[in-house]
Amino acid sequence: MNIPRQTVIAAGTLVAAALLGSSSVPKATTSDVAVSVAPEQLSVVGLPCFPGMLNLTMTNTGSQDRYADLTLDPTGPLQLSRTLFSSWLPALDPDQPVSAPVEVRVPRNAKPGSYKIGVEVDRQRVTVPVTVNPLPPKGPGDNLTLGEQATASSTHGNFTLCGAVDGDKDSEHWDTLTGWNDGTRAAFPDTYDVALSTPATINRVELYTLDSAKYPARVNGLRDWDVQVKAGDTWQTVDQVRGNTVGHVTSTFAPVQADAVRILCLDGNDHTYSRIVELEVYGS
Amino acid sequence: MRSSRRSFLTATGAAAALALTGSLPEIKSAAAGWTGRPDRRDPFTLGVASGDPLPDAVVIWTRLAPDPLAPFGGMDRRPVDVEWQVAEDERFHRVVRHGSVKAGPEASHSVHVDVRGLRPWRHYWYRFRVNGQLSPVGRTKTAPTADTQLSKLSLAFASCQAWWEGWYTAYADMAKRDHDVVFFLGDYIYEFGIDRGIRPHSNEPYITQQTVTLDEYRQRYAAYKLDADLQTAHANAPWIVTLDDHEVVDNWADEAHPSAPPAQFRVRRANAFRAYWEHMPLRLAQLPTGPDMQLYRRINYGRLAQFNVLDTRQYRSDQAYGDGTKAPGPETADPTRTITGDAQEKWLLDGWSASQARWNVMAHQTAIARLDTKDGPEVLVPMDTWDGYEASRNRILGGAAQRKVRNLVSIAGDLHRSVASDLKLDFTDPASATVGAEFVGTSISSGMDGEDLDAGGATLLRENPHMKFGNFQRGYVSCTITPQQWVSDYRVVDKVSVQHGTVSTRAKLLVEDGRPGISEVQE
Repeated sequence: MNIPRQTVIAAGTLVAAALLGSSSVPKATTSDVAVSVAPEQLSVVGLPCFPGMLNLTMTNTGSQDRYADLTLDPTGPLQLSRTLFSSWLPALDPDQPVSAPVEVRVPRNAKPGSYKIGVEVDRQRVTVPVTVNPLPPKGPGDNLTLGEQATASSTHGNFTLCGAVDGDKDSEHWDTLTGWNDGTRAAFPDTYDVALSTPATINRVELYTLDSAKYPARVNGLRDWDVQVKAGDTWQTVDQVRGNTVGHVTSTFAPVQADAVRILCLDGNDHTYSRIVELEVYGS
Repeated sequence: MRSSRRSFLTATGAAAALALTGSLPEIKSAAAGWTGRPDRRDPFTLGVASGDPLPDAVVIWTRLAPDPLAPFGGMDRRPVDVEWQVAEDERFHRVVRHGSVKAGPEASHSVHVDVRGLRPWRHYWYRFRVNGQLSPVGRTKTAPTADTQLSKLSLAFASCQAWWEGWYTAYADMAKRDHDVVFFLGDYIYEFGIDRGIRPHSNEPYITQQTVTLDEYRQRYAAYKLDADLQTAHANAPWIVTLDDHEVVDNWADEAHPSAPPAQFRVRRANAFRAYWEHMPLRLAQLPTGPDMQLYRRINYGRLAQFNVLDTRQYRSDQAYGDGTKAPGPETADPTRTITGDAQEKWLLDGWSASQARWNVMAHQTAIARLDTKDGPEVLVPMDTWDGYEASRNRILGGAAQRKVRNLVSIAGDLHRSVASDLKLDFTDPASATVGAEFVGTSISSGMDGEDLDAGGATLLRENPHMKFGNFQRGYVSCTITPQQWVSDYRVVDKVSVQHGTVSTRAKLLVEDGRPGISEVQE
């Protein structure tokens, strides 16, 4: 469906906006945009830094390029990073899908159960079932930072703050799927903090810095850092790492009560950015 | 190869290219709960603007966005009637043109009225009304007729306004001075942000998140356009705009960007262009058709000045040697590479052949002059400026010389520093003929406070004898043009890291009629 080319000239005035108006366009009976959502259903938990991810895809199956708006309508406690995805959709052969991500979060106190997200383009509606699961155990032997609230001195625009507590420590997923990278090039120190859900006695921190085939730790990984823990209002350094060249470093220390853990990043091997793929904290 | 299934990609005008969302059901806006009662929220949160003046016409713009950062700007997804008025006086006693247009969701409820039938070279005031609510009043000015021997033109030019890196104090100063027209030369928005910025809310996703989809670009424009100083500058004079890289993504070149394969990048470019057009006071002739937009165009101010507004992003060859700052070599000299594209190059040269203007101005993105950034005999130049496209530079500057173009002046941005240079036929030979003058303006805010002369600027002045002036603070350039001379007044802000910094003239540079290059620097 397209508007015939037209020229609107009235009393010497060309009204550009009139050409963009849509009120007179007949309604389509079927849409030429195919919608898909992956995965088709989702499970989430009420951890503040552990969003579920959906990939939204629109594909123009018609014969003309067009723009389309996809709207999202969540139920219950579901919180979405976006409720709208608009894009130009080229009409190409073969089809060209156009995708965008949406993060799905729930509060920590969300009631476990079944919810849904309505996804709509034109008059078509797809429903994505979302299960809110109970919170995972955070007892002895569990990673206490998984999905907990991170804060950082800064975060580079290509990364998400939660990328270092998302349970993905695979450096090959760096940049596209996981990891935290600070936002201030060649300026140190940088900090990456994770608040524990409840105060706990901890004695071990596992830090995974960037170490992939393309970006080896000895070139691009974190080089110097302090491990700090917070109890009450004071930060205490429990380990210092210097001159690191490997991807995975374990810091062990005498058991200490902690509300939060901080990596104080002092330098990287390329002296540009601080890069953490995953930060894990364990108690005794 | 992918091919288009449809015919109008090549066949017809821009209007036909609009895919319409008229069949969408009307849903509740972000301000849910509104059920048909009159909407008393202010729809004019993003201000008003005007642009691309002609002797009898100007485009007036606004966008209805009662909740500007929300989906659809907080508008219901139905078209709205917007009334507009253009008057000869600011109290609207003498309304000379008026009308009503529909603003719909397919263009973010933006309004672009190409007001015709106006008188040349005079101020007009304009405003909009929706449901009885009035917009702020904008002031604009038409161009003089083609044969006018204009005695004086006042213009400002600006670029690069990273929101989180500083306050737009330069715009407050620009609005206080009386400019007939303002040129904006690129980087109106940034497609990314840093979450620790100068301004409150710098860490909000609507500033920091990479914009890729159309809703994201629209939201980024809304976030930037909320700035009061920017709105004031728009409301005080017509703007003539072009874009650079960050309206799409850092250092894109035609269909090339490392972030995505070309087919995917074309979608991002189409989304970026669409949002750009929606938020700029541009004519329908500039409405993009998918990933293509006719942005280069020519605007005359009588016989005094002709402005060639260029687009050196959409048609350029990919940056040489993988981009960055490199030594010139066979790739930068390759005559098959171009920064303008063949059609735009021919259009520019043909236009010069026909020009009767006293001042012939290139209004565009980045420096033409060579910028050797390395102390000593080694030469390192930016691959993203015209230094990376030497053959293009030689064809344009050589072509200007061949055609004996009168008073060639280049105005540009991009560098986040003020740089004024003589344009040479051969930049490696100081004795080579000077064919024009170039004024690169600094950024409005990008780069934060800066300093008067940083180490990089000192190196540039040492290594580039054609460079006559440099400064590394933020600001803009205010120009006064008469038949006898062009004066560029470099206005700089002492600090953009605080609100209400002090703006002052750092230097005045003169070009005299008939004498190519910069004839005087008053510091």
